[in-house]
Amino acid sequence: MTTITLNGKSITVTSDPDTPLLWVLRDELGLKGAKYGCGIAQCGACTVHVGGQPVRSCSVQIGDLDGQSVTTIESFDGKHPVQQAWVAAQVPQCGFCQPGQIMSAAALLNENKAPSDDDIDAAMAGNICRCGTYPRIRAAIKAAAKA
Amino acid sequence: MNAPSLDRRAFLATAGAFTLSFTVADARAQQTGAPSAPWAAYLSVGQDGKVLLLSPTTEMGQGTHTAHAAIIADEIGVPLSWVSVETALPSDPFRRNGAMGSGGSAGVRAWYAALRQVGANARASLIAAVAGKTGAPVGEVTLVDGRFMRAGQALPVTLGEAAALAAGQPPVQGVLRDPATFKYVGKATPRVDIPAKVRGEPIFSQDFTRPGMVYACAVLAPVYGGAADGFDDSATLAVKGVQQVVAIPGGAAVVATSQWAAMKGAAALKVRWKATPIDGLTSGAISAAMLAGLDKDAEAIVGKAEGDTAAALAGAAKVFEADYEVPYLCHAPMEPWSITVEPTADGGLEIWGPFQTQDRNRSTAAKTAGIDPSKVTLHTLMLGGGYGRRLGDDGTPGAVLVALAVKKPVKFFWRREDEIGQGWYRPAQVARLRAGIDASGKVVALHVRTAGPSMRHTFSPTGLPKGEIDGSSVQTLTDTRYRTGAYRVDWVRVDQAVPMAPWRAVGATQNGYFMEAFVDELARSLRKDPVALRRELLAHDPRALKVIDAAAKAGDWGKPLAAGRARGFAYVESYGSLCAQVVEVSLKDGAVTIHKATCVLDCAQVVTPDGARNQIEGGMIQGLSSGLFEGIEIAGGQATNRNFDGYRIMRINEAPHAVTTVFIENSEIIGGVGEPPVPPATPALVNALFALTGKPIRKLPIAATLAS
Repeated sequence: MTTITLNGKSITVTSDPDTPLLWVLRDELGLKGAKYGCGIAQCGACTVHVGGQPVRSCSVQIGDLDGQSVTTIESFDGKHPVQQAWVAAQVPQCGFCQPGQIMSAAALLNENKAPSDDDIDAAMAGNICRCGTYPRIRAAIKAAAKA
Repeated sequence: MNAPSLDRRAFLATAGAFTLSFTVADARAQQTGAPSAPWAAYLSVGQDGKVLLLSPTTEMGQGTHTAHAAIIADEIGVPLSWVSVETALPSDPFRRNGAMGSGGSAGVRAWYAALRQVGANARASLIAAVAGKTGAPVGEVTLVDGRFMRAGQALPVTLGEAAALAAGQPPVQGVLRDPATFKYVGKATPRVDIPAKVRGEPIFSQDFTRPGMVYACAVLAPVYGGAADGFDDSATLAVKGVQQVVAIPGGAAVVATSQWAAMKGAAALKVRWKATPIDGLTSGAISAAMLAGLDKDAEAIVGKAEGDTAAALAGAAKVFEADYEVPYLCHAPMEPWSITVEPTADGGLEIWGPFQTQDRNRSTAAKTAGIDPSKVTLHTLMLGGGYGRRLGDDGTPGAVLVALAVKKPVKFFWRREDEIGQGWYRPAQVARLRAGIDASGKVVALHVRTAGPSMRHTFSPTGLPKGEIDGSSVQTLTDTRYRTGAYRVDWVRVDQAVPMAPWRAVGATQNGYFMEAFVDELARSLRKDPVALRRELLAHDPRALKVIDAAAKAGDWGKPLAAGRARGFAYVESYGSLCAQVVEVSLKDGAVTIHKATCVLDCAQVVTPDGARNQIEGGMIQGLSSGLFEGIEIAGGQATNRNFDGYRIMRINEAPHAVTTVFIENSEIIGGVGEPPVPPATPALVNALFALTGKPIRKLPIAATLAS
């Protein structure tokens, strides 16, 4: 049993302590926004926030998160400035990586209100997009920063 | 997101909704005037006025559902937001050439004219119903933004009411609208699938659930074509949540109450693998066999022969020759295989998955279960990436066998390591190009020989008979617009036990690289500008010249460059579209920086310009990624780079800093958009690095060649 604050609400989960956060979200809680893409923190499709920082939820065990605050894309409800910028820039193609991209971008903008290209590269290099939507991701982050 | 079943369609019809089934001619036939088999498409207008289009295509991010919705909205005359799109169940109206599937960049070009006619027929039928109800003459009623109008006044009938009136009436043949009146086609129409994707909604196969569903994690043989000789599942069955282990083709599947428990159980499974004939196969051996194939004149199968190339080469003042090589490429969609199968009470199967070939997967499922295909209902979910990977049916037998074993709904899935390690790849291939040049520096002969495994042989259920040519092995070479005097293209088959499938743009990727890298090397040997040489080879073809010139202009060809930078040019025609690209690069400590990438695409007509632009940006990046970084490395008969730590995909910090796209539209036959931007990207990058360093890059990936 682990107690975390998930999207602003305190909850207790029963998954074994060695269960990756990704699978607690998907299997136990039914939150499917974070995706399984690689399982080894290489692709970023599973990115969520822990304590406001972007983490690869496939590689963080739930037992290590007792008392921590976890934020997933479901809490954004389509209204987050990053999501709005993503729609305005028509970023996604297949869309599978995009929840992870959006979570990484939101974390970047929480810390840096006017990211440079280098800042964007550093914050987003952990998120692979096989469709190659990187030019639009970059443009959308800049637009969201100005919003 | 489930495609409505026929029952639901019947329900809509009996409930007063309006179901159309129109027979119109094949789209391409309409454009060329040739006769063709008739087909039909289904469209429903509900009593709430919502329009449901069942699309023949799979949506994998390429935007065809948006294009189809735009066509229907414009032709009927309703707001785009009233139209929803789902992929149809496999059935005759949605088949092309006898099967339903999405490939060949055909999603818009093959269906454009036909879907317009469906929308026009719907409008005509609805207007006829409104005219009958209100007494207004049919010719005076129009349908604009979802409202029926007469003489500038709205008539008191809603679209939903009109649909109810039209239900059961014979369909009316409609007249196409003037494209100048379109509000969505050809305009900056937002993609219909993007809002749900940005909210992170559970729209993908991986997210799909059924009541009482269990999860099954595949454990596949590491070696291509390998099989299990038995397994020790004692540790697996001790994992909490694991229920059983089921033997499947090529390995086993661990069934559990959660996806994580299935993965944990899979990691604990000890499988004894059978020995295979390729347990010692390496990339080096594959490479050596292909290169040896280049010398096997007697085995070469001719793809094209114009003039006496051997004599022209023998008589040339100078012969320029180069060999090239590309590795196997993995599609690497971000979503690994994930298929849900539910046995039905009548002994059939209901299946939900990410399919590019609906009929192929349905028949494979039926064959696996030993039932008639009519007892298999196959739903297509949103694909978490396709690029050709989901044209295959390699996930379906395991999914079906597990469902039959556990007798309940099961989500069968692959891990990333198997998705890459047992992917069906773009073929490895080599090529030798020999150009004959006369005393004046003119190209008078060209012989292109490729050698490698037949993709079609492993991808097609019927294989490729000996002696036949695999068209993909010479794709874009046999129909090039370049005129090089005597011209011969042939292919030497060098098969391997490595599975392959079409990879976005298929043979155009490797053959585009061979030809375009060679043209630049040839230009240097002739002391000619690479664009000038291409203009020479295309001097007879105004359409191609326009594309070359537009790319040179948009890509600043010939303009001054910052120190340490160079530009590269490439031109490849595929899937009915002509595409030229310019890439500007620099190189520091062996690392390539792509400053700018420019693409000119002549696809004749652009239906959804912003979506098409997104396809070009992504297509170029996929081409640049594959050329720069990608290649399956094989040792011991298996891929050794099985996840993204070893199979390197381009990341945002490595992608072009700026991408420019230019469309050329004209009255030619509409061309594809999804694939044509991929092939020129790799050679444009190769040529830029050649211009920068003076060293040709004759083996991909580039990063490995630069490091060697």
